[in-house]
Amino acid sequence: MLRGAMAIWQRDMQVLRRSIISELVAVVAYPLTIYLAFGIGMQSYIGLVDGAPYALFIAPGLITMTAVSAAYNESVWSLWFHRRVQFTIESYRVTPVSVSEIVIAKIFTGFMHGLIKGCVVGMVIFAITPFRFPMEHLFQYLLFLIPGSALFSCAGIIGGTVMDKPETIGKVEAVLVMPLIFMSGLFFPLSSYPSSLLVWVRALPTTALFEGARRALVAGDLMPLPALQVVLSSVVAFAAAVFIFRYKMSE
Amino acid sequence: MHTVSIAIRALTKSYGALTALDSFDLEVEQGTIFGLLGPNGAGKTTLIRILTTLMRQSSGDAFIEGLDIQRYGCEIRSMIGVVSQENSLDRYLTARENLELHARLHGMEKQLYKRRIDELLELMGLAGRQKDFPDTFSGGMQRRLVIARALVHQPRVLFLDEPTTGLDPQSRRAVWEYVRSLAGSMTIFLTTHYLEEAEQLCDRIAIMDHGRLIALGSIQELKDRLSGATVYEIEFTGQGAAHYAALLASMPCVLDVTQVGHKVTVTLECWECLSEIVTALNGAPVRRISLQERTLEDVFISLTGQKVRE
Repeated sequence: MLRGAMAIWQRDMQVLRRSIISELVAVVAYPLTIYLAFGIGMQSYIGLVDGAPYALFIAPGLITMTAVSAAYNESVWSLWFHRRVQFTIESYRVTPVSVSEIVIAKIFTGFMHGLIKGCVVGMVIFAITPFRFPMEHLFQYLLFLIPGSALFSCAGIIGGTVMDKPETIGKVEAVLVMPLIFMSGLFFPLSSYPSSLLVWVRALPTTALFEGARRALVAGDLMPLPALQVVLSSVVAFAAAVFIFRYKMSE
Repeated sequence: MHTVSIAIRALTKSYGALTALDSFDLEVEQGTIFGLLGPNGAGKTTLIRILTTLMRQSSGDAFIEGLDIQRYGCEIRSMIGVVSQENSLDRYLTARENLELHARLHGMEKQLYKRRIDELLELMGLAGRQKDFPDTFSGGMQRRLVIARALVHQPRVLFLDEPTTGLDPQSRRAVWEYVRSLAGSMTIFLTTHYLEEAEQLCDRIAIMDHGRLIALGSIQELKDRLSGATVYEIEFTGQGAAHYAALLASMPCVLDVTQVGHKVTVTLECWECLSEIVTALNGAPVRRISLQERTLEDVFISLTGQKVRE
């Protein structure tokens, strides 16, 4: 049934293999710069956050941010490019492949980009900083990272489907995606928010993702409610991505 | 007995108040090359997008090889090849990889598609460039690669949407040769702006405008539709062309007269009127009288008008 999705995904992985080095250099540079600037540079001014040195506090969030940003960016730009520039989506649609298979392939590609790039950034941070975590925490962490990457990949698919201009993609990332990531307690503890605002911030799936992922990686906690929130959000985003893509293609 | 490959019945497509296709009827026989002509915005691309299942009609029916396009989209897509207006090649894959991806999307086995791709690359003269990326190809080579891609799975119906737009004359003729070589082995449905292309390739032609079918037949049949009116060009020596143009214009059997310099073009009701013209011109300084052959362009313009479409 998913033969067409597999063919498109294999194509995407073939292209990724060809450009993996340049992709990883670009992907590692951004979170590493943030880590060095904030984690190392600001550490002595900030001290401990939630009982951990600031450099260690932000490390899990940077790995998660790399993964979900990569998933989002790959999906949104890839879909836009294939739809508006290269017209390859149309060439897929005149084959026996269903629209749902195209979406599934693209979501899975975005998810793989996120996973690979997140892992590489994690390894680099692990190698050059004192940040350490017990390996047995990795399983709990992946329970957040996998649906989280899928969620952002679906969001990217929706963006790449509905946005026809590249500048709009950049604007949406600047005013919606990055604020959602940054507001989720990536650089500061959620306790910094006023209690009236905290309720709303906690309702965001990105907060559940970043907070849950950090706790999972650092303390090995598996918080069931945030995990469920991320999984449910990714399921809803998947359904929305398929529906919106099908609708747009039928126009 | 001819078998119908494409059958279209009262096909209508509306975008709000705009009707792009208006109760369109058509039948295309199996194994023929069929040309669809029309000015910009006539509804050609809408029709081809509906037939290739990329778009749903508002009403009416269409069948490809007997299968309803609304109910059997997947089955139809497995038996059609599509060359769209845009090249739609994957610039991050080599020429061969582009064809391999298409074969995998059609669920072809590797042993089968490997041999088929070798054949097609050879046929299209691209075997030596199969490991190169399409961005490094000329426009003609890219177009040949798109056609090769559409043929990988050996379709029964091939849709060519303006296949030679933007190509130089040599590349255009090369594409025509490939298309001609396919004649008989599959049904080819072609849209084009180049009337010469339609004349060169098509067994039958339809002309559409404002979403409606306005003419259908072989090229000769369409030209014959204008044969009721016959056009002659009369060339005069020296001055007097204007005087004789006015004289001819006053004759009841003359439908239209235009004069450019020493040449006067007269449109007659029928060729039998020529003797009246010759009598009227008795003693006139006529250098030559020649019959103007009707072209497909004359037919096209007479049916769709001369006004440029937006």
